[in-house]
Amino acid sequence: MPEEKSLSYYINKSKEITGVMDRKIRIGLLSSFTINGLKEILQVKSSERNISCIVYEAPYNQYSQEILNQESNLYKFLPDITFLIIDARSIFGEIFRFPYSISNSDREQFVEEKINEIKNLIDKFVEKTNSKLVISKLSIPTFSPNGIFESKMEYSFQNMVEDFNHKLTKNYLISENVFAYDFEKFVTKNGEDHIFDYSQFFFGDLKISMEYLPAFGQELMKYVIAYLGITKKCIVLDLDNTLWGGIIGEDGFNGIKLGPEPPGNAFMEFQRVLLSLHQRGIILAINSKNNFEDAIKVIKEHPHMVLKEEHFASMRINWKDKVTNMKELIQEINIGSDSLVFIDDDPINREFVKSIFPEILVVDISNDSSTYTSIIENIIDFSVLKITDEDKNRGKMYFKQKIITELEESTPDLQTFLSQLDLKISIKEVDEFTLPRVSQLILKTNQFNLTTKRYQETDIEKMIQDANFIVGCAQVEDKFGDNGITGVFIIKKENEKEWVLDTFLMSCRIMGRDIEKGIMAYIVNTAYEHKVKKIKADFLPTQKNKPIENFLPNCDFEKEENSWTYAIKSKIKFPEYLKIQVD
Amino acid sequence: MSEKLYQIISKVMKIDIADITDELGPETIENWTSFNGYVLLNELETGFMVKFTINEAMDVKNIADIKRHLRNKEINVDE
Repeated sequence: MPEEKSLSYYINKSKEITGVMDRKIRIGLLSSFTINGLKEILQVKSSERNISCIVYEAPYNQYSQEILNQESNLYKFLPDITFLIIDARSIFGEIFRFPYSISNSDREQFVEEKINEIKNLIDKFVEKTNSKLVISKLSIPTFSPNGIFESKMEYSFQNMVEDFNHKLTKNYLISENVFAYDFEKFVTKNGEDHIFDYSQFFFGDLKISMEYLPAFGQELMKYVIAYLGITKKCIVLDLDNTLWGGIIGEDGFNGIKLGPEPPGNAFMEFQRVLLSLHQRGIILAINSKNNFEDAIKVIKEHPHMVLKEEHFASMRINWKDKVTNMKELIQEINIGSDSLVFIDDDPINREFVKSIFPEILVVDISNDSSTYTSIIENIIDFSVLKITDEDKNRGKMYFKQKIITELEESTPDLQTFLSQLDLKISIKEVDEFTLPRVSQLILKTNQFNLTTKRYQETDIEKMIQDANFIVGCAQVEDKFGDNGITGVFIIKKENEKEWVLDTFLMSCRIMGRDIEKGIMAYIVNTAYEHKVKKIKADFLPTQKNKPIENFLPNCDFEKEENSWTYAIKSKIKFPEYLKIQVD
Repeated sequence: MSEKLYQIISKVMKIDIADITDELGPETIENWTSFNGYVLLNELETGFMVKFTINEAMDVKNIADIKRHLRNKEINVDE
């Protein structure tokens, strides 16, 4: 049983949701069976994350009508995400019980027809709305009239469901708007006997039991988190009894528990799952009270350490308290504290960090190291709708950043330091290849973001096609390698004489190198070439974008009433240490 | 055990424990919709570790019916 509250808790709690939330989401719910209560679960779970969640629930089993009718309430509702939850009983009809009443080839034909029906619905939906569509795959029923002989059957009932799922996934593999949800994984994790309760099915056509509906809602929250870009980016780890068993200062290099034998294997597996997250773009860092020399020796030399020095973007290993270290770590990595996850076996440290940084996801791990891996596996906050090349290389880039910071600290002045970096900026207009990353930056960047306007990929696509907009991005390279696309700007051409800077943002990891001045010089010079006389810009302050507060005055914009203006008289020079390439 | 029963009814139906009587049902409890009535049975099943048969579930019209079915499962709901 997952650690979840009861369905009645969510139903009643949803009535008490009040107040203004940080973010908003509109969810459409379509299903082939009773999902009463799911709306309330999503609303409560969203409110716990400071998201105001408005849900449109289509009438019972009316998903086809809602999608096919151009004037349906679903379309009027303008959902951001629509969940279409279907099940094999409804889709397969009589064939669900009597798959072997038809021939092998008819079974194949049948699945083909069913997939086409769904595809037709999805195509209509995508044509009509910008909403993301999440469609559940079918769970594979365990019963077959053939019993254990099922696996000897050609194109068996099980194969039919698998084939349906496979085709559904394949059809939308590269789609930006359609996602197939692995419902069968949810069933595998929790068990068919728990998820599907015949009594509830007969009584009210429930195909996800009331006990497990909250856990299912938790699964759907992954899409909400990913859609809103409130994904956690960094895991901050303690060392003793977290990455290894025992205390290095007391048990010594040879005494700590880390290796193929229990209980050391639990720590190794925990490190492996962390490494797998790191490889897909989650940053790792250390916040530990320890003698630096003792701990670093383990990290560098212990034969069973899975995580190595190069996997950590920051290592705060000292005798300062965890909060002080956390503050320094946040500054060093240059990351929003709300993107952090903190893992520490000591409840006092956890409470202390939680009390100062309520926005950090502090994971309550028990003193049983065998549970660590599953705790990490169950965190839904790392969910993303897309993994870009930048994500995959993020870990390496942060490690590189650490080396750069060390170089900066050993160089006498900023100009010398910057000129040693061999900075090169490639500025280009956004195209289909750069769009996913640009969209990701627009949704996620908080700190160096002038207006914090959030646009979905489809919004940006429209701007790219609109001659009144320039959507540009900047790729930054230095002597340590390529940082990828780390800057975005959107210009709205108000008229022939005046451009407006709608969006200007940069990833925090390249802040402090005057890259922004280079990009701004490019914008001004381009405007000059178009005979534009002024550029207007707004700075919209949020709780997080203080780093960009002085950007406009630093670029010689002047304040006019509530807005900032730059009067273009001539081209301006790029900073000397920046090489600019325009594609 | 009746205390536990009343707590679950109170939690699911959002009514004060003091207001719960045997006669209450869908007509007298605002939150007792057909779905919520089923949620109540489900949470009683979890709370008392019992299972109602489909006939029992369909038979429930008020609190007294719930008590009767629980008694049949050897749950003491009168103390």
